[in-house]
Amino acid sequence: MTEEEDVHQTVTMPPMRPVEVAERQEAEPQARDTVFDIQGLTARYGTNVAVRDVNLEIYRNLITAVIGPSGCGKSTFIRCINRMNDDVPSFRLDGRILYHGADLYGDGVDPVEVRRRIGMVFQKPNPFPKTIYDNVAWAPRVLGLKKELDDRVEKALRSAALWDEVKDRLKRSALSLSGGQQQRLCIARAIAIEPEVLLLDEPASALDPIATSSIEELMHDLKRDYTLVIVTHNMQQAARVADRTAFFSLEVDDSGRAGVLVEYDETSKLFTAPSEKRTEDYVTGRFG
Amino acid sequence: MRVTFQEELDQLEASLQEEGALVLRVLRGALNALAQRDVELADEVIAFDDDVDRLYLQIEEGIQSLLARQTPVAMDLRLVLAMLHTNLHLERMADYSVTIAKLTKLVADVEPDPVLLQSLEDMGERAEEMIRVALDSLANRDLQAAESLVDLDELIDRSNRRFVERVVEIVADPGIREWVLRMVLVSRTLERIGDHAVDIGEQVAYLLTAEFREFTDASHPERA
Repeated sequence: MTEEEDVHQTVTMPPMRPVEVAERQEAEPQARDTVFDIQGLTARYGTNVAVRDVNLEIYRNLITAVIGPSGCGKSTFIRCINRMNDDVPSFRLDGRILYHGADLYGDGVDPVEVRRRIGMVFQKPNPFPKTIYDNVAWAPRVLGLKKELDDRVEKALRSAALWDEVKDRLKRSALSLSGGQQQRLCIARAIAIEPEVLLLDEPASALDPIATSSIEELMHDLKRDYTLVIVTHNMQQAARVADRTAFFSLEVDDSGRAGVLVEYDETSKLFTAPSEKRTEDYVTGRFG
Repeated sequence: MRVTFQEELDQLEASLQEEGALVLRVLRGALNALAQRDVELADEVIAFDDDVDRLYLQIEEGIQSLLARQTPVAMDLRLVLAMLHTNLHLERMADYSVTIAKLTKLVADVEPDPVLLQSLEDMGERAEEMIRVALDSLANRDLQAAESLVDLDELIDRSNRRFVERVVEIVADPGIREWVLRMVLVSRTLERIGDHAVDIGEQVAYLLTAEFREFTDASHPERA
């Protein structure tokens, strides 16, 4: 393949099979391999600006945390990353989100394909009212990945650190699991089709401290194979798990209120010597 | 706004300044005992060190508890770490003062050399000045004052060198030899107190700039 063809391919992002995790492991990750290059992102619901002019890059095999006070647009921001806002009628997006150089909102990009590569886990565990096995097997079946399905399900459950707890009751209802287990099941469900990116929107806020720490441990393990972006209210959680942290805040001016990116840096820098006064005030609890 | 947390931080910092004031009293006591060959005062200094140690422990425990419960970050974290170090430096200074008091007792019955004695008094006053500057630079968040400690330290170092030169001149006199040898340690001790004051200044600079930086580096003096 010539270099020109290679560039062409990344820009149009053709439908493709999910990249096998094993394949991704073989390629030694670059020091700073950019997965998302977000340029001038402004998201609106009707006339309300949810986030304004966000510029940042998200790097491969890192955990990137998004923190900030309520209403600062954290959730809107990560929902933009896998086109979850598409179905909101009044939603409008300006700027660009480049995924490996390809515009996620470009012509001809299939949102279903986007979500296959960029999975999402929500605040409240939301397993299907089906068996544990069927929850994990559901997406692979829909995508026609029926070969060696048992292995795929086991692998996903192992990756989500749930296998040992459920291997003897795979045919039982997912709703019989505890909250923490349900959330790990949702993670297993998301990774069963081997996406490249996992978005987690407050994944532990409905869980007790023990279940929370098991989710955090799991995130550490998962970043070997995946790029993770987590929205969290819990600053200490961001400090514990994330490599890089983005702090969003609300800015009020004549045109109204909008979420803006205030500071984005290595997590340890952000929590020891933030560059911005607003970040300092927020992380030390003097505001927000 | 985390009111309780802020109150605890303020309380710790007030205790640290209190400890600094105690250290100044202990050092002044030791210097007076030395100048006046006052064994009783030397004993008081030695006993008084327990008060410093109590306060040192109290601050240490306060910081431990604060870290466990409040997870300070950013400037708060740097202040807590700077206080942790400063606490230790102050405690060491008090121990050095005790060393001076003990050496004083050992040679209380020997007639001292007036030139050397005056030299030690001068160094002692410089050390006191440095402790005050260090504590004030922390209280006032004053980077410039913290950095000025390097120059003050140079003055103590110079006095220490002159002291040694004078010692070489008179050490042959058997009547004063033991006293002189003891006083070499006192001189060294005062010089160390100055170094600890500089170290506190470095903590103040860390608090204010978030950079770990040695003002002077004995093994790489050219970087100073």
